[in-house]
Amino acid sequence: MAKMMYRDAVVSTIAEEMERDANVVVLGEDVVGGMGTAGGPEAIGGIWSTSTGLYGKFGKDRVIDTPISESAIIGAASGLALAGKRPIAELMFADFIGVSLDQIWNQMGKFRYMFGGKTRCPAVIRMAYGAGYNAAAQHSQSVHQMLTGMPGLKVVMPSTPADVKGLLRAAIRDDDPVIFLEHKALYGVTGEVPDDPDFVIPFGHARLSRAGEDVTIVSSGLLLGFCEQVADKLAAEGIGCDVIDLRSTSPLDEEAILDSVEVTGRLVVVDEAPPRCSLATDICALVANKAFASLKAPPQAVTPPHTPVPFARELESAYLPSADKIEAAVRKLLAWR
Amino acid sequence: MADIRPFCMPKWGIEMTEGVLAEWQVAQGDAFKRGQTLCLIETAKITNEVEAEYDAVVRRVLVPAGGEAQPVGALLAVFAEAGASEDEIDAFVAGFRPADTAVAAKAGAPTPTPSPALAPARAEPVKIVTNRPISPEALKLAEMEGADLSTIEGSGRGGRITYQDVQQALRPEARPALRGTALLPDEAPHGSAVFASPLARRLAALHGVDLAGVKGTGARGRISKGDVLALVPSPAAGGAAAPFVPVDNRPQIVPFDGVRKVVARRLTEAKQQIPHFYLRVTAAADALIALRKTANLVLGCKASINDYLVKASALALVRHPEVNVQVHGETIHRFPHADVAIAVASPKGLVTPIVRQADRLRIDQLAGETRRLIDKAAAGRLSMDDMDGGTFSVSNLGMMGVEEFDAIINPPQAAILAVGAVTRQPVELPGGDFAFESRIALTLSVDHRAIDGAAGAQFLATLKGLIEEPEQLFV
Repeated sequence: MAKMMYRDAVVSTIAEEMERDANVVVLGEDVVGGMGTAGGPEAIGGIWSTSTGLYGKFGKDRVIDTPISESAIIGAASGLALAGKRPIAELMFADFIGVSLDQIWNQMGKFRYMFGGKTRCPAVIRMAYGAGYNAAAQHSQSVHQMLTGMPGLKVVMPSTPADVKGLLRAAIRDDDPVIFLEHKALYGVTGEVPDDPDFVIPFGHARLSRAGEDVTIVSSGLLLGFCEQVADKLAAEGIGCDVIDLRSTSPLDEEAILDSVEVTGRLVVVDEAPPRCSLATDICALVANKAFASLKAPPQAVTPPHTPVPFARELESAYLPSADKIEAAVRKLLAWR
Repeated sequence: MADIRPFCMPKWGIEMTEGVLAEWQVAQGDAFKRGQTLCLIETAKITNEVEAEYDAVVRRVLVPAGGEAQPVGALLAVFAEAGASEDEIDAFVAGFRPADTAVAAKAGAPTPTPSPALAPARAEPVKIVTNRPISPEALKLAEMEGADLSTIEGSGRGGRITYQDVQQALRPEARPALRGTALLPDEAPHGSAVFASPLARRLAALHGVDLAGVKGTGARGRISKGDVLALVPSPAAGGAAAPFVPVDNRPQIVPFDGVRKVVARRLTEAKQQIPHFYLRVTAAADALIALRKTANLVLGCKASINDYLVKASALALVRHPEVNVQVHGETIHRFPHADVAIAVASPKGLVTPIVRQADRLRIDQLAGETRRLIDKAAAGRLSMDDMDGGTFSVSNLGMMGVEEFDAIINPPQAAILAVGAVTRQPVELPGGDFAFESRIALTLSVDHRAIDGAAGAQFLATLKGLIEEPEQLFV
């Protein structure tokens, strides 16, 4: 076990997989970090420091700086994957996915189906998402609910450095396109990471990070930490919370959620995307459909309101789900009559 | 009900909390038109005219001009059609609930109890007039149940009060039985890969099942509820009892003694060489039991039921000489009289002394003879003469409670009667009623080499007849 930051878990996993498999290549804006500047390659580093050192180690053929064109990055990654490479494409902000959506949604996600299962597209698209950085409506969004709704894509949202390790490795080794969503606010979080070079967490296996028998809280990414705080606080009062970290939203670990609700009878889903047609409402519906008899109170979704992410710090913090809001939702369920 | 509407202190701007009604421009009883100025209201900042939003009649003025400041939401007047009755207006004023709780506080009304918002049960729905957003069904429910809206927080869009909000407010406070946190084995201690559903891990913790190495059959190879339950020993086997520890169970070795050697050899030969078949009947025994008492008294003996059965067998054997036989090689030896062997459990094992010519013995003589033989057997002093030959055997385990059994033929004899216990059995009486009677089960083991089924059956029928009409035993 080594202690490392979330961002370092990203870099080290990519480096280990590049070492292991010569087909793994990295491409994106500023992944070399400093190309074309006076200092030369790697003088500055990528904006998230998630590719530091890769260029020096693996060279220009495997660490590729691209023009500022998401369509080009994802289009190139699609072609590389079809040609037998295992590209890891980086989108600096998940918000910019729009211009490359055809490459993702219509091409990558559909290749296997359009070619009768005779081709594969082992691409990983990494992107930084999430609010809390006072970065306004175009640089703060959570896009997972849109991507989760697209058949043909796998969508992963790690919440800890260890999960980054296990899930990113699984993503790189997977033969289908995987969207790998990294929350900006988690990059600096430190945690224990297993040393096993083959530590892989298969998709669709949720993690139970807290165990209690009164309320089920389902979340992922940054918000999982808030859920854990609430669970720990309530545990002191004798209120037990199951906190489920989904890890991947597609495939979704339905069994983990339903099993837990079977025990608790109460569900809170905490998600950073706005509530309409979202993952949170999808999970509430799932539970209402498949565990109706277990429910003691209506499932609660703790999400931002149906608005763009506000720029002002005060509004942004009022907009985002917080520990207080999660706790209020839990208490509302317990007080349900 | 006529269309009655409240006219309340308006809220002009976020800061306005109260206002003074400076001047009425309409009087009680006046009809007014939409757009007509109704009154002037003065706030800390401005004085404004209030225009009518609809046509109506001023039915009641509650706040006169120039009085004290009224909080936002306070009822100033009631507008309605001319047709509304005074009673209706009174009921409306009495039932009015301002949206802003500040009004109630200002008016010195008792502070509303927090929750549940349950007013005393009313037979009649109460008209609630409010300017808070509320869905029509929610309002109807609140009116039916007399809910106090001031204590209800709206959960709908823009704070609108929904049906569910009212319903929740009306119910008694919830006191959930909390179960608290659970101690579960760690998910996958990083590095090992045990993927189990939360329920599976709960069950594993509960039943002490180690999940390492368990093969998951759930979605994507995950260990699920069923996989764990398959490993849980059934509750019947476990329980709270201490685990079973076997004790030393080595045998004590006892060699066959003389009697056992003979018994073993003869019975092995018998069971291997004689083609046994078995015939079963039951006989009513009440008559025999009753007669035995009387006969024993008259004869002054202690004849047992078994003695009577030996006697009955002997008589039946004489009537069916094809059963009263010995088998020697390929010959059948038929006897005119019945030498009946009785199976006796002696301290040395099974012995079969013979009551000679039992058909000719009176019951008291027969009883004396069996007594003599049993005493000798008990003393281990039976002679060869006592046991040699015999044309038939009777074995009785009825006194041990055995209901029926099959006996092994004692060669060279060709049949043996196994006698079970006397039991009380229900029998159907003429007319469909039923009663209990004593019955005795008899099983005849027959050597098919010498005796056919029909012969055996006829013998048994005769025997049954003798038992059921025991007077014949004395003929």
